[in-house]
Amino acid sequence: MSFPNPATSVKLVLLGEAAVGKSSLVLRFVSNDFQENKEPTIGAAFLTQKCTIGERTIKYEIWDTAGQERFASLAPMYYRNAQAAIVVYDITKPASFIKARHWVKELHEQASKDITIALVGNKYDLVEDDTEEESLRKVSVEEGKGLAEEEGLLFFETSAKTSYNVNDVFIGIGSKIPEAASAGPNQIHQTNNDGRIDLTSDPNNRPRAAGDCAC
Amino acid sequence: MMSRTERRKSMAERRPSVSYTPSVIPHLAGLEKPQEPSLKIDQCDVLIMGTGLVESILAASLSWQGVQVLHIDNKNYYGDSSSTLTIDQLKKWCMEVNSGRLQHFQDAQIYIPGGKSTNKFNSKDYGIDLSPKVMFCKSDLLALLIKSRVYKYLEFQSLSNFHVFENDDFSQKITTQTSKEDIFTDKSLSLITKRNLMKFLKFILTDNKDPVKKKILVDNGKVKVQDFLVKQFNLELPQINELVYSIGLCINEGTETREAMAKIKRFLVSFDVYGSFPVMVSKYGGPGEISQGFCRSAAVAGTTYKLNTSLVDYDPRSKIAKFNDGSHVKINEKLVISPTQVPKFLQSNYNEVTENLKQFSITRLITVVRRDCKEWMAEQDSSAIVVFPPHSLPTNNEQSVQVIIQNGNTGVCPEGQSIWFSHTSEQDLNRAKQDLESAYEKMEASLLREANADLEGAFDDQDFVLSAQGTPVFVNSFKLGESLQNFVPKEKLEIVCKVGYVQKTYANPDLSNIFHATAEDNVVLKNVADAENDILFSNMPSAELSYDGNISEAKLIYQKITGSDEDFFDVDFEDDDDDYDNNDPHDSSNLGSSTTLKSSSSNALASDNEDVIVDSSDDDDHNPFGADEMEL
Ligand SMILES: Cc1cc2nc3c(=O)[nH]c(=O)nc-3n(C[C@H](O)[C@H](O)[C@H](O)COP(=O)(O)OP(=O)(O)OC[C@H]3O[C@@H](n4cnc5c(N)ncnc54)[C@H](O)[C@@H]3O)c2cc1C
Ligand SMILES: Nc1nc2c(ncn2[C@@H]2O[C@H](COP(=O)(O)OP(=O)(O)OP(=O)(O)O)[C@@H](O)[C@H]2O)c(=O)[nH]1
Ligand SMILES: [Mg+2]
Repeated sequence: MSFPNPATSVKLVLLGEAAVGKSSLVLRFVSNDFQENKEPTIGAAFLTQKCTIGERTIKYEIWDTAGQERFASLAPMYYRNAQAAIVVYDITKPASFIKARHWVKELHEQASKDITIALVGNKYDLVEDDTEEESLRKVSVEEGKGLAEEEGLLFFETSAKTSYNVNDVFIGIGSKIPEAASAGPNQIHQTNNDGRIDLTSDPNNRPRAAGDCAC
Repeated sequence: MMSRTERRKSMAERRPSVSYTPSVIPHLAGLEKPQEPSLKIDQCDVLIMGTGLVESILAASLSWQGVQVLHIDNKNYYGDSSSTLTIDQLKKWCMEVNSGRLQHFQDAQIYIPGGKSTNKFNSKDYGIDLSPKVMFCKSDLLALLIKSRVYKYLEFQSLSNFHVFENDDFSQKITTQTSKEDIFTDKSLSLITKRNLMKFLKFILTDNKDPVKKKILVDNGKVKVQDFLVKQFNLELPQINELVYSIGLCINEGTETREAMAKIKRFLVSFDVYGSFPVMVSKYGGPGEISQGFCRSAAVAGTTYKLNTSLVDYDPRSKIAKFNDGSHVKINEKLVISPTQVPKFLQSNYNEVTENLKQFSITRLITVVRRDCKEWMAEQDSSAIVVFPPHSLPTNNEQSVQVIIQNGNTGVCPEGQSIWFSHTSEQDLNRAKQDLESAYEKMEASLLREANADLEGAFDDQDFVLSAQGTPVFVNSFKLGESLQNFVPKEKLEIVCKVGYVQKTYANPDLSNIFHATAEDNVVLKNVADAENDILFSNMPSAELSYDGNISEAKLIYQKITGSDEDFFDVDFEDDDDDYDNNDPHDSSNLGSSTTLKSSSSNALASDNEDVIVDSSDDDDHNPFGADEMEL
């Protein structure tokens, strides 16, 4: 009898200026959906999505900033045990690229050393039909690539709107995450290691649990 | 109940981010913090100052109900008086306390031996809770963590071992047992004592509506629990100490029966909910970590967060609040201010409303030691509790000293080390410090004695000892006699960091003015008259070792703001659908069925008190296990 490969859980955090399309990228990846005027944050703890790369199945636990980054108020909890990060900027907004650089620096300081980071220039669809003379593009591919090379990041230009390159980001990250790292001792979702208690097992359904007695 | 479609507009919709497009891309080097320097909102419904646990639960509860919340903190970290700090942050914090800038904290002292050269450590490896707590497996906070799904941001670990110090020794009273009965029967007790204990166990697990139990409790509610246990159940001192101070975590001899019964029951109903342990600890930190979780939940619901920010002015007429970043925000409803964040211009108002409140001191001593203290913990655990009941220490302590031990496996310190969080509610501060030091010494001695009991490796080959008989002895050559063992100077426990401080609170250690708050005894219910009653002050954390009382406090403020606590966290969360097993991203919508976990919202202590017993309102969720099946 053969068992399917157990999925490796990977905590992935998103960073980037407001409205660059962080949540839209996630929505595209998780639901293959796009909303023109999307709510920036989703009312979920985090989103999960599995992604199969060759023999491996990776289960992404995707944490969105929920706006806490806006005033530099991200909690340590956000970075803790994150094995992957996507730093997003909007290729039509140079300021967002500057912020991306800040976030890379912040990740190097706050997150674990072996975190896999992808730099993503989003809203590619806005520059697709551009002419030489008139372009909405304000951050060149070379600039993005340059920063990525300097800092050892994966680099993609994407469009959450047309889904261009979106899955590639997650597959790219997945293939870069070392197998060993996802089984490290500090990893978030381990199967019953560290005495972690599974609170999802409904206590009321446990045999001999407090609520079960007929008395 | 709000459905998803009714969910109020999220932040970016309400306040689209400003986009500016300079023609040239500025040079990148040297740009530090590109975040927006000042708040860019013109109004909010509720301003909350301080990101402590209660305030964070409040922020989340309000924003999930559609209230626009602005949540700030004058520190650059989350948690306020319930923060989890690194050693560097703790150093800074101590200086702040001693400079008098942190109201309600005093006498802070930190000791880090040898500086960084010999005592090498990485500050960031430590998460030291200012107000550490443990979580009962059946408690209102845990139920809320599950309901709100904030538990998903956290990891919980079991804590099974409760040690009691008595007769100058530690006995491990409670450890991994398979059932509640075993808690009482693993000792060499006489048959009659066992019978009495079982009778008591049956009594305490009986429904509070039972007329016989009710009458006994009404008649004895105000009797001291020790007297009650002797009179009613013929229990003896060792069992009483164990029940009252270890299982019940009561803090002094004045504890009345009704309070003690609720506390003992709290332990028993928590046992066996998730396994054979009564409490859990959250990894990487306690209240500080849980506050962060609720703040994130609040942010997801639309709360705006800005740390490092304080209120510098508020005009009750125009309702305009001014902040230290220069921004102005109109506050439509209320301001909630934590005691450590009271702005100067409101200090006299705060002093006025707290004038007649009884203040309590909590003295804390926190020590980081280079030992994992595994000998005190159950196999699968990384934490333990040690209790020093009244009069068990050489200082003749009147109040219990309670200690939470957590080692590196809980993520609060590196492997091979542990943190001892001790505190007492002794109100005489000199005595309090002596009690804590004494408890520390007892624990240190016990740890070293246990380590030395195994002589192998305890001494060096070269150590030389001369016995009283005059015979030189190489320690490794044969077993040292006991007198000689005591004579050999004890190895000192290596300390990474030791910190002591005193914390003041208006929350009674027995939580009576939290569970039954009145305008006479709880600051939340006081009116700040000349601020048009727009301003509410919250409480400092209590001395309580568990999270009991926190939800009640959050609800109290919630109710004061919204008029009722009926819709407190009355939200249908979408299910994350964790077991989703499809690799096709096209179907993997997140909108599954709603969470089915039923959560009990009541608090064991709050619901198990005299009033409930007297007016016989229901106590539905404590149907105890096992009492009827036991052979007595
Ligand atoms: C839980 C806790 C544990 C502490 N442990 C230590 C410690 O081990 N070593 C240390 O040097 N400081 C300790 N301190 C700090 C200590 O209380 C003083 O604040 C500190 O020693 C400053 O000394 P001072 O000369 O300024 O005394 P002050 O703060 O001016 O002392 C005020 C009075 O309190 C008395 N006093 C102070 N500390 C103690 C004590 N630990 N026991 C009994 N009486 C005391 C002093 O004799 C003096 O009469 C601790 C504080 C706390 C809250
Ligand atoms: N044209 C285009 N628009 C996009 C793209 N991605 C996102 N958007 C739009 O950009 C806006 C902001 O997108 P969000 O996904 O909410 O951005 P965000 O980074 O999550 O924003 P915050 O949560 O506020 O930080 C929305 O109106 C999206 O529809 C894209 O690839 N192309
Ligand atoms: Mg977003």
